[in-house]
Amino acid sequence: MDKTYGEGETAVNALKDVSFSVNKGEFLLVVGSSGSGKSTLLNMIGLLDRPTNGRIFIDGVDTMTLDDNEVSAFRNSKLGFVFQSANLIPDLTVLENVMLPRQIQRTDESATTDSLKLLRGVGLEKQAHKRANRISGGQAQRAAIARGLVNKPTIVLADEPTGNLDSITAETIVQLMKSMAKKLGQTFIVVTHEREQFGDVDRIITIKDGRAFEGEEAPSKIEVTV
Amino acid sequence: MLTNKRGSLIGAVLAVSIGILVIHVNFVIFQGLYDAIIRDMSDYRFGDVYVIDEEDFIEKSDLALVNWFERIPYVEAAAPRLSSSASINATKYGQKTEEFQIPVVGVDPFRDTRVSTIHETIYDGQYVFSRNSLVVGSTVAQDLGGVEVGDSLKLKIVDRWGQDQLKRFIVTGITNTPGGQGLDTSVIIHIDTLRDMLDRKGDTGSLLVKLNDPTKAVEVKNFFLASFPNDDFKAETIDESAEDALRGFRSGIAMINMIGYFGMMSSAFAIVTILMMLVTSKTREIGVMRAIGAKRKDILIIFLLQGVIIGAIGAGVGTALGLSYTIYAKETKMQWEGSLALEVSYQWQKTVQTALMAFALAIVASIYPSYRATKLQPIEAMRTV
Ligand SMILES: Nc1ncnc2c1ncn2[C@@H]1O[C@H](COP(=O)(O)OP(=O)(O)OP(=O)(O)O)[C@@H](O)[C@H]1O
Ligand SMILES: [Mg+2]
Repeated sequence: MDKTYGEGETAVNALKDVSFSVNKGEFLLVVGSSGSGKSTLLNMIGLLDRPTNGRIFIDGVDTMTLDDNEVSAFRNSKLGFVFQSANLIPDLTVLENVMLPRQIQRTDESATTDSLKLLRGVGLEKQAHKRANRISGGQAQRAAIARGLVNKPTIVLADEPTGNLDSITAETIVQLMKSMAKKLGQTFIVVTHEREQFGDVDRIITIKDGRAFEGEEAPSKIEVTV
Repeated sequence: MLTNKRGSLIGAVLAVSIGILVIHVNFVIFQGLYDAIIRDMSDYRFGDVYVIDEEDFIEKSDLALVNWFERIPYVEAAAPRLSSSASINATKYGQKTEEFQIPVVGVDPFRDTRVSTIHETIYDGQYVFSRNSLVVGSTVAQDLGGVEVGDSLKLKIVDRWGQDQLKRFIVTGITNTPGGQGLDTSVIIHIDTLRDMLDRKGDTGSLLVKLNDPTKAVEVKNFFLASFPNDDFKAETIDESAEDALRGFRSGIAMINMIGYFGMMSSAFAIVTILMMLVTSKTREIGVMRAIGAKRKDILIIFLLQGVIIGAIGAGVGTALGLSYTIYAKETKMQWEGSLALEVSYQWQKTVQTALMAFALAIVASIYPSYRATKLQPIEAMRTV
């Protein structure tokens, strides 16, 4: 797929001819220098934005054919998000934040027990009933991960989930994501600047100037095909 | 959940409440003033139904007419009055004061106290009780240089033949009405004395009819007119009597009401502004909600609900405040600096209408901000920190 921001003189080709597939249960790391197009790629996969050209299939569904409401429903049920900042709703409790994707879906009942189970999984059972603006950044990010997982999504997308955290906290968050991924067989696509924090992962994709390459290094010379 | 900004919501609720309160206060004051004037016109000068002869004087026996009216169950009492004008001058400390032309009202003291409360407005002395007693309006008393009870006054009246008739009276009382709807600028004497002076024995100028159920005024009036088809009677209810006198006042009220409604409109603008601020300050949360799957419709509902809440609480609080003010005004018989006491009434229909209008307006005012909230793109929204 391609993504071009803007038109004419000021147009930016943020993604050029990117094509890859992700296997179920894979922990995929997306790396690349600043401005290379990592967030753009994640936004496309997350259906937060549409590619200029190309298609994205998730669970066999051609997401380009979905209308606005269907995209919302699809995001809700098939995608989990973890942002650079936790982005919890400050006036809700931690638990309510985690349950939010469930409540939007309106298929309730087990929402509370599932959410509490996940909060226990991320080590926040004691904070469940605190308001979201009363916990630390690291705790908020754990809650955000729980929120990303609560709907048992096909893919969890995380854009620099440790970007706002100190290195020690970041370490625990990375471990948490990796262990949750393993425990739940959950597919993760994680964008990061800090390759080292993640240690061993299933697969790495490097973005350079809007192009995607398998592996840790992009070839030093890029062949341009028109 | 997105919208838990108490401060701004309180502001919006306050805007609605104040809008409603202003309408209530306007209504209490101006409708109260209007009704007070009508009340006083009825109490002092017109009764509930006012009967005159179309041409001239009522020649039928006043006693017969009074009896006729008082047989109707709705009628409390009826009383005749006769009006004329007189020249007056007081003698005070042996000195004659200037001559005035003033209205004279002749009353039948016994009957008049049953249809009118003018006798209750005598603040010094008492009402007309004998053929030569005179009640002076406070304004007249002042103009004459401070007439007091016990003073003697000479009235000069031109009779039906054009002859001057002079008679000396003793001031027995001074009448003063707050708001001046009474007979402050007239003098009151016994109707028979006035008849004698005018040489109009048995003639009556007007008949005041007081009802025990004022809502039956039209019925009584029509029944009367139908019963005396061959006399040139003219009868009008107090509303009709007030109609001409208060037409200007009424359009004034309409204007004040308009101002109240404009006030309400500005409350609506306040809501729009406050909700726009709310949407702006919640941009990031809206983005998150959209990212985790909230549809445009969900966002719309959240913010519209905010309008509903603002409208409901605002309408409730505003109506409560407005009614409190109304009750206060009614219980304390609110008046200013000796002017007439407001005639406050509860207008439930208008109260409900105002509350519903404010409620609807709050919802309408929340439509645009809500719509704007739905137009936020999740990535754009989350980019703003
Ligand atoms: N909304 C936009 N409009 C125009 N250009 C954009 C927009 N978003 C991103 N870009 C451009 O697209 C390119 C890729 O941006 P992107 O945010 O994907 O980079 P990134 O790899 O995530 O960088 P970083 O590591 O700094 O987050 C950049 O040149 C950026 O300036
Ligand atoms: Mg980025």
